[in-house]
Amino acid sequence: MSHRTAPGRPTRRRRARAAVTALAATTALALTACAGPSVAGADGAGTAGDEATAEAVDWSAVEPASEITWWSNHPGTSQEIEQELIDRFEEESGITVNLVTAGANYDEVAQRFQAASQTDELPDVVIASDVWWFRYHLNDQILPLDDVLDFVEADAADFQPALYADYEYDDQHWAVPYARSTPLFYYNKDLWTAAGLPDRGPETWAELEEWDASLKPLVPAGGSTFGLSTGPSWGAWWFENMIWGQGGTYSDGFDLTLDTEEAVAGGQFLHDLFHEKGVATLSADDAMADFSSGLIASTIGSTGSLKGALDAASFEVGTAYLPDGPAGGGTPTGGTGLAIPSSKSPEQQLAAAMFLAFLTNTENTAYFSQNTGYMPVRTSAVESDTMTAVYEATPQFRTAVDQLADKARPQDDARVFIPGADALLNEAIERIVIEGTDPAEAFASIAPRIETAYAENVEPYL
Amino acid sequence: MTTVFTPGSPGSSGAPPRASSSPAAADDTSAGSPAADHSATVTSAAEPAARQAGADATTGGPPSGPADREVQALRRSRLGARRRRRNLLWALLLAGPNVLLLLVFVYRPLLQSFYLSTLQWNLGSPVARPVGLGNYVEWFTAPTTGRIVTTTLVFTLATVGGAMVLGLGLALLLNRRLRGRGVARTVAFAPYVLSGFAVGILWLFMFDPRYGLVQELLGWIGVASPQWYTQRPWPLVMIVVVYLWKNLGYVALIYLAGLQSVPQDLKDAAALDGASSARTLRSIVLPLLTPTTFFLLVTMLLASLQSFDIIKAMTQGGPLGSTTTLMYSIYEESFVNGRAGYASAVATVLFLVLLAVTGVQMRFVQRKVHYA
Repeated sequence: MSHRTAPGRPTRRRRARAAVTALAATTALALTACAGPSVAGADGAGTAGDEATAEAVDWSAVEPASEITWWSNHPGTSQEIEQELIDRFEEESGITVNLVTAGANYDEVAQRFQAASQTDELPDVVIASDVWWFRYHLNDQILPLDDVLDFVEADAADFQPALYADYEYDDQHWAVPYARSTPLFYYNKDLWTAAGLPDRGPETWAELEEWDASLKPLVPAGGSTFGLSTGPSWGAWWFENMIWGQGGTYSDGFDLTLDTEEAVAGGQFLHDLFHEKGVATLSADDAMADFSSGLIASTIGSTGSLKGALDAASFEVGTAYLPDGPAGGGTPTGGTGLAIPSSKSPEQQLAAAMFLAFLTNTENTAYFSQNTGYMPVRTSAVESDTMTAVYEATPQFRTAVDQLADKARPQDDARVFIPGADALLNEAIERIVIEGTDPAEAFASIAPRIETAYAENVEPYL
Repeated sequence: MTTVFTPGSPGSSGAPPRASSSPAAADDTSAGSPAADHSATVTSAAEPAARQAGADATTGGPPSGPADREVQALRRSRLGARRRRRNLLWALLLAGPNVLLLLVFVYRPLLQSFYLSTLQWNLGSPVARPVGLGNYVEWFTAPTTGRIVTTTLVFTLATVGGAMVLGLGLALLLNRRLRGRGVARTVAFAPYVLSGFAVGILWLFMFDPRYGLVQELLGWIGVASPQWYTQRPWPLVMIVVVYLWKNLGYVALIYLAGLQSVPQDLKDAAALDGASSARTLRSIVLPLLTPTTFFLLVTMLLASLQSFDIIKAMTQGGPLGSTTTLMYSIYEESFVNGRAGYASAVATVLFLVLLAVTGVQMRFVQRKVHYA
């Protein structure tokens, strides 16, 4: 290198410099193209949410867009039904709706929505499940709907109050109910008859335990009176009924109450159901499959599974309210709603709101419910001719609607509002069910992690 | 790297043959020989004064040999500069698209991930909070870290070790002159090209402890099926088995290629000396396969530490986190728990581990490799 001639050097250096500059520029360009979040002061990230309610749009001055996009996972294998509803909407309004399969379940749609949130590739309507919509709201990603629903005359007052109230925060609604469900108690009517039991579900868990003696001899080897499966977005949902039944909760507001006597009693009840009384067994994968095959005499399943169970079972399927505990009980609601991203133009938002109103009107919600088994989200739809005919033909569908009216209870904030809490609660439930861990210990092992999640991902944004 | 293409540098004599065939390079290679520089010699003989004036004007140096060289060098550097410019253009043209893609899709995310690991960010929010090394401190002190690292180690050792041993066995088998060998090779390799997610779903059906094929087969030999989905450690065993099944064909194929390059005369010589086939394998075949083994070890280790699809499809990291590897925990923290900063910190740790593992292998294992 020392033999390089003098005049060559500056040229080379210039070249090298030019190359480095070009490289740096490209890198910088690439970096800024997707720069991620901006950084807030060390004292808090919580400025985003405050801008949410900025200025009100005068919707009467807005012309709806002619084309919108909808991200869905087609809950309850409803792709064709959704497309049919879209066709009806296009005919009526002239607005084109692109239906995009954005994931196989609520979580996948949500993950895609989160990943796209820093880009302009967002849809105009998006699936927002019970455990996700609040995260969207905290991130200022969705539009409060009250105003615009009012403007498009969506008659929000006709939504089932328990279902619409789920999306309320800061005196605003952030989504509309769409594919909504509750857990149901499913039982094998043939076995019930053979055991000489009354043709109804048990009113209390204690009653089911009593009935166990007459049912157990009738189930095949490896089966049981009652079977359950666990898993994310599932275990911590049905367990709400059990913990409420003992007077406990996951949380009071955002304060965890897992260490209270009542909450631990809820865990103990679950523990004993499996490990002391032997009433229940854990299904390997899907308890509904074990139920449909006759292996277990009863189970808890979602409303959305009813159609499948009726088709698959060779016996008569009964549905009933979830049983009560000594302190009552109740049922959580779940499933998904639909939300409108806040970053879209008012034109797109208006078209999206018109579509939401259409999708959830009396006729269409009945059509969707009839074909999927999800609950009709409008009070008027429950009594519509379509649904009356459905309930007459298959009275099992009626149970969910009645249970909603009689027993629905808002979910505990910890499960639905704290990111990751559902999976952690399920972990505690699995420890109790699978490994027979002492409930107090199982809850104590996850509580600090839920508190961290709250402190990191909720509190700063409130 | 530039030495080779620099005119007048000592390296130019070592320029590749392609370079010396081009006219510009011919000028270069002649630089060392005094007679060859035709124009310079003519100039210096005919017009000493003019040359001196010119040399003075250009360099201000003494009117002697060095000035000559300066002039030559100047000309050469002009020619060289042109050539270098062309080389650079070619280099940019040929490597540019690739480099750009690497920059945008590998190095940019990598750098950004380092940066994100110093933030507390929930993935969806437009704002984040800087926490310095807080995420790293949390990871190193978290109660779940030990379990995740252990799971990762067990999974990696079982899958890499298992795939290497079984893959070699399969390759030895497929290397024999058997009927239907071609079909067997294709069948063995086929799982490797299938989608990991689809493989996971299908095996999930087969492992079903009540209705699956596996419990049926176990039933034939009077063994009750383990609770593959729920009872530790069976879920981990299950995903290891599936991972092995999927990747065995790849290992076997690479080993097969290695086996076929083992010279027959060495094996014949060993046979003449009375070596058993086991001895031949140990003393002849395995040492000659070390480059293959080394290559497989590196690639399999990297692939195993990064495996995700089968876990996602079969166990989602559960039950009770018993199949949560480092890689899976990154996904879970980021997309399920909304902790993108923390997940980036774990990703950085994983990146450093992979870098270290590869470095160690390059440094130590490669020394023991025989290249035939």
